[in-house]
Amino acid sequence: MTTVDGPVLPKLIGERVKRREDPRLIQGQATYVDDIKLPGMLHLAFKRSDIAHGVIRSIDTSAAAAMEGVELVITGAELAETLGPMPIGTPFPAPDHYSVATDKVRYVGEPVAVVVAEDRYLARDAADAIEVEYDELPAVVDPEAAMEAGSATLHEGFERNIAVESYWGGTGVNPETAQPEDDSAVDAAFAEADVVVSQRMLNQRLAPNAMEPRGVVAQYEPGREYLTVWSATQNPHILRTLVAAMMGLGEHQVRAVAPEVGGGFGCKINIYGEEYVAAALSRMVKAPVKWIEDRTEAFLTTTHGRDLLGYIDLAAKNDGTILGLKARIIADIGAYEVLLTAMIPTLTGLMMNGVYRLPVVRHELTEVFTNKTPTDAYRGAGRPEGLYFLERAVDMLARELDMDPAELRRKNFIPTDEFPFATQGGLIYDSGNYEPCLDKALDVAGWQEMLAERDAARAEGRIVGVGLSFYVEVCGLGPSAVVPTGGWEHSGVTVERGGKVTATTGASPHGQGNETTFAQMLADHFSIPLEDITILHGDTSVVKQGIGTFGSRSQAVGGAALISAAGKAGDKMKQFAAALLSEHEVAPEDLVFEDGRIQVAGAPEVSKTFAEVADFAYIPVPLPPGMEPGLSEESFFEPENNTYPFGCHISMVEVDRETGEPKLVKMVAVDDCGNVINPLIVDGQVHGGLAQGIGQAMFEEVVYDEDGQPVTASFMDYVMPRAADLPTFELDNTVTPTPVNPLGAKGVGEAGTIGSTPCVVNAAVDALAPFGVTHIEMPLRPERLWRLIQENGGQS
Amino acid sequence: MEIKGEYEFQGPRALLYELLLDPDVLASALPGVERFEEVAPDAYESTMRVGIASVRGTYTGRVTVLEQNPPESYRLQIEGSGKPGGVKADAFVELTEAGTGTTMHYRAEVKARGTIARLGGRLLGGVARLLIGQFFKAIERQVDDRAA
Amino acid sequence: MSESVPITVNVNGRERSAMVEARLLLVHYLRENLNLTGTHVGCDTSQCGACTVLVDGRSTKSCTVFAVQADGSEIQTIEGLADGDELHPLQDGFWEEHGLQCGYCTPGMIMSAANLLQDNPAPSEEEIREGISGNLCRCTGYQHIVNAIQHAAERMAQS
Repeated sequence: MTTVDGPVLPKLIGERVKRREDPRLIQGQATYVDDIKLPGMLHLAFKRSDIAHGVIRSIDTSAAAAMEGVELVITGAELAETLGPMPIGTPFPAPDHYSVATDKVRYVGEPVAVVVAEDRYLARDAADAIEVEYDELPAVVDPEAAMEAGSATLHEGFERNIAVESYWGGTGVNPETAQPEDDSAVDAAFAEADVVVSQRMLNQRLAPNAMEPRGVVAQYEPGREYLTVWSATQNPHILRTLVAAMMGLGEHQVRAVAPEVGGGFGCKINIYGEEYVAAALSRMVKAPVKWIEDRTEAFLTTTHGRDLLGYIDLAAKNDGTILGLKARIIADIGAYEVLLTAMIPTLTGLMMNGVYRLPVVRHELTEVFTNKTPTDAYRGAGRPEGLYFLERAVDMLARELDMDPAELRRKNFIPTDEFPFATQGGLIYDSGNYEPCLDKALDVAGWQEMLAERDAARAEGRIVGVGLSFYVEVCGLGPSAVVPTGGWEHSGVTVERGGKVTATTGASPHGQGNETTFAQMLADHFSIPLEDITILHGDTSVVKQGIGTFGSRSQAVGGAALISAAGKAGDKMKQFAAALLSEHEVAPEDLVFEDGRIQVAGAPEVSKTFAEVADFAYIPVPLPPGMEPGLSEESFFEPENNTYPFGCHISMVEVDRETGEPKLVKMVAVDDCGNVINPLIVDGQVHGGLAQGIGQAMFEEVVYDEDGQPVTASFMDYVMPRAADLPTFELDNTVTPTPVNPLGAKGVGEAGTIGSTPCVVNAAVDALAPFGVTHIEMPLRPERLWRLIQENGGQS
Repeated sequence: MEIKGEYEFQGPRALLYELLLDPDVLASALPGVERFEEVAPDAYESTMRVGIASVRGTYTGRVTVLEQNPPESYRLQIEGSGKPGGVKADAFVELTEAGTGTTMHYRAEVKARGTIARLGGRLLGGVARLLIGQFFKAIERQVDDRAA
Repeated sequence: MSESVPITVNVNGRERSAMVEARLLLVHYLRENLNLTGTHVGCDTSQCGACTVLVDGRSTKSCTVFAVQADGSEIQTIEGLADGDELHPLQDGFWEEHGLQCGYCTPGMIMSAANLLQDNPAPSEEEIREGISGNLCRCTGYQHIVNAIQHAAERMAQS
C-alpha cells in the first residue's frame, strides 16, 4: 500500500484552541478607531445640553467660530438642512429625532452644536466657548408619574409620554390572528389558585460601558462621490445602509468599516447621530473628520440598557403547580426611540414563559418617554429583565410554599418530550432538556452541602443565603420575519492559489473570537492547518453582505453561513479533484478532505493535495466540461427559527451584619448552548456574562436626580465590577443541540448575564429571609441591606 | 439639594441686616468676587472665581433680593453659570436676636447642572459650606470693624 | 492655548525629545506624537486603567499625568514589553489562558500586572485580584486574567 506523506491533522471543533486575534492585541498592534489617522484629518467636538428638558432660546457660536484653528461651528438647526431625522429599526411610531437637537433638548448630553477643528483639544475648547440659553421645562424623570395626566410631555403627539402600549394574554396567542385566545382564563386561574405571590420589581437602568468608547472617522471623497466611515460598531453593514440613506447616497457609494472594536454589549448596535454628523461634516468641510467619545459622553449619550419596572403576580397550587402569570411592565425608554429601543422591552414579555409550563399569561407593556438617555440593547436585551422578574417570582413562590427552589422549578419544567414547544407568547422553543442541567448544577454546586453550610453559618450568627435560577433565552437572531434588519447572515469562502483559504463573515466581531472559531470550523471542513486560513470581517468592501453581531448570533447564524459557503466551495473543489484524478474514474461524491489532501474515502493513495487542486482551479487546463474556473463561493444563511439555550445558576451570598456589605462567595453556572466549537472561548463568554449579570445584581445603576441630572456619569459614581469583587466562577455544561442550524450551536454570549442576576438576588433575599425580607431591589447596596437588617432590629 | 445652617454673629440684628444687603460689603465679603454690580434695584450681577476641585472655574451670576422684611428676613434668588455647569438657588435668610448677638438661619434649595451636578454633586454641599463659611468670616470682620 | 515646553523622555529604550503643550496628557503624547497607539484611553477620571504604562518602573495611569511631568523619565508601554520577537511571559500568559476578548483593556492590564509581579513574584489569587483592581475589564469577568497572571508568574519563576 502506498503511503502518503504529511501530518495527520487533529480535529479542532470542540478543542480549546488559543485565539488567533491575540498576538496583535497583546502587543499593542491592533487598530481601533481612535488609532486611525488620515492626512488632513480634522476633529469634532459636540456642545451638549446640560439640562434635561428645555427649549433652545439662543446659541451663540461667535466666540467658538473666531478661535484660530476652528474650521466650522454648526448648530442643530443648521445641520437639519442637510441631515433629516434619524431612522429607526422598529415598526413602532416614533417622534422625529435629529442627530443634533434643533429646537428642544430632552436629555442631559443631547448635542446642540458641533465644532470642527484642527485638533481635539482645540475642538473641545471651542465647544466649551459656545453659549446656549434655554427656557427650561419641567423634567420628566419618573416613568409612572410621566403617564399621569398633567405631567409635562416630551413629544407632541405622544400623550402622557406613552410611546408603545402592548397587551396580550389568555391561554395563548392565536398564531393566525395574533390575538389572545381566552383572556378570561387568566382571572379564572388566579381565582382557582391556593397561593398568589405579587411583587413590584425594578430592573434598573444600566450603562453598557464597553471599555472602548464609541468613535467614528468619516472621509468623503468629492471627486469619487464616495464615503468611507470607520466606526466602533457591531454591524458595519447596517451602518452602511443607514448612513447612505441619511446622506442621500446609494449603498454602492459607501464603505463602512468596523476596525478592531473594543466591546459592544449591545450599545454599538445603534447607529448614532455622531456617525451621521461625521459623514455629513466630512462632505461639508471636504476633509476627513474624527470624533472620539470620552467616558463622560458615553455615560450621557451611549444608549443605556434595561430600566423596566415590573408588577408581577404568580399563581400556584399548594403542591407547587404554577397556574398562571400576570406581568404589567413599564419600560422607561428615555427621551427618544433609537434603532431598536421600542423592540427591546417587547422581548421581556415574550421570554417570561421561562422554562415552565405556564397555562395562562396576561402581559401588559407600556413604554414611556422620560428626560433620560435613550435605551437600546444591552447584553441580553429584554430577556434578562423578563427572566429576572420570573425567576424572582418563582423564588418567592418557593419561599411562600416552603419548597426547595430547585424542586419547585423541576415540578413545572416543560417536559423534554414536548419540544419543540409553543410558548404563551407565540415562540417555538427549538429544543430543551432541563432536568439533566438542573441535576448537574445541583451536583456541581453541592446544593445540599450549601444548604447545610448556610444553616451552620446562621447558627453562628452570620448572614448567609443561597440562590438558584433557571433561565432560557432566545439566541441566534433570527429569521428575517422577526429581525427588522433581516435575520440572515452572509459568508464567503475562497480557496486561494497554493491551497490557503480566505473567508469573510458578516458577523462582525468585537471580542467574540470569530477569527478563531470560524477558522477551526474551516480547518476541520477542509482538513487543512489552522494557519492556512484567514477570516476577514468588519469591512463592507471586503465582506460583501452582512447583518452583524448581536443577540448571540455569530455561531448560530454566521457560523452556519460559513459552513454553507464552505460546503459549496468544497463541492466544487471535489469536482476539480475528480477531473485531476480522471484516470482513476473517481466521482466527486467519492472524495473526502483528509489531512491536506483530497482523496477517495479510505484510499489515500488516490488523491491530490489540497494545494494542487486549488492551483488547478485557477489554471484549469483542460477546463472540465460545464465548470467555471476558480474557487470562491458565498452563502446567505436564513435560519428557520431562533435558538433557545438555557442553564442553571447557583450562588451563595454572605452579608456583613455590621456594614450590610454583600459578598458573593460562590457562583456556579451550568449552561447549555448546544454544540460547542471552542470551550475556551465559551468559558470566556460565560465568565464575562456572569460578571455583567452580577454587576447588575450587586453594583451597577444609572441614577438621575429629580431634575433629570445624571449623577452617575463617571466610573467614580457608576460602580463597575472589579476583579476583587468577584469569586472564581465554577462552570460546567450540558449539550442539547439545536435542530435549526447544521452546527447544532445555540449561542452563548448573553447566557451568563441572564441567569446570574436573579440567582444572586435570590441568594441575598435568602440571606435576609430570617429578617422577614421577601424582596430586595437591585443593586444590592450595602446601605440598602443594612437598613433591611436594622428595620428588623438587627435580629434574625 | 437643600443646604441649610445657622451662624452666630456678635453684633446687633439691624447692623447685620444692613451689612448683608450692602453691595460694597457683599463685593468684598463674597469669596472670589471679581465684579459685583447693581444692575437694577435689588438686582446684582457678579463674576466669581471658584478654585475648588471639579467645580473650579469662573462663574457669572445674577442675584435678586426679594421679600425684604428688615431686620428679620429676606429671600435671594441666585443664578450662576460657568464652564463646569450652572447653579440655581432659592435661599431664605432669617435673623433672630440671641442675647446681644444675632443668629442667622439660612435655607437654600440648590439645583445644579452640568459637571457640577455630575462630578461635583458629591462635592457641592462641601464646597457650598466652605464658601459660606468664608463669607461669614468676612462679614464677621465687617461687624467687628463697624463695632470698633 | 498654553505655551510649549521642552521634554525629553526615554520611551521603550529610545530617547525622545519634543516641544509639547503644557496641558498635553502623557497618554496623548504617546499616542499622537509617538504613534504608540497600544496604550488606550477608556475613561476621563483615571478609574479604568486602560492607559496604564510604566513610568520609571511603576505602573502609572498615563491619562492623569501631563507629558511635561514625565520629563526625564523612563517610560515603558505595551509596545516595548516583548523582547524582540519573544513575547513577555505576561503576553504569553494572556494568550495561553484567553485573558482577553476585545483587547481594549489588555495593554493597561498587562502593564499593571507587570508592576504587580515585579513587587510580588508569586501572588496569591486574592493578591492578583486586589493588584489589578485599578483596571477595569468588561469582557472577561477577570477569571482568565487571573489565570494569565498566574501562568506568567510560574513561567517567570522557572526562568
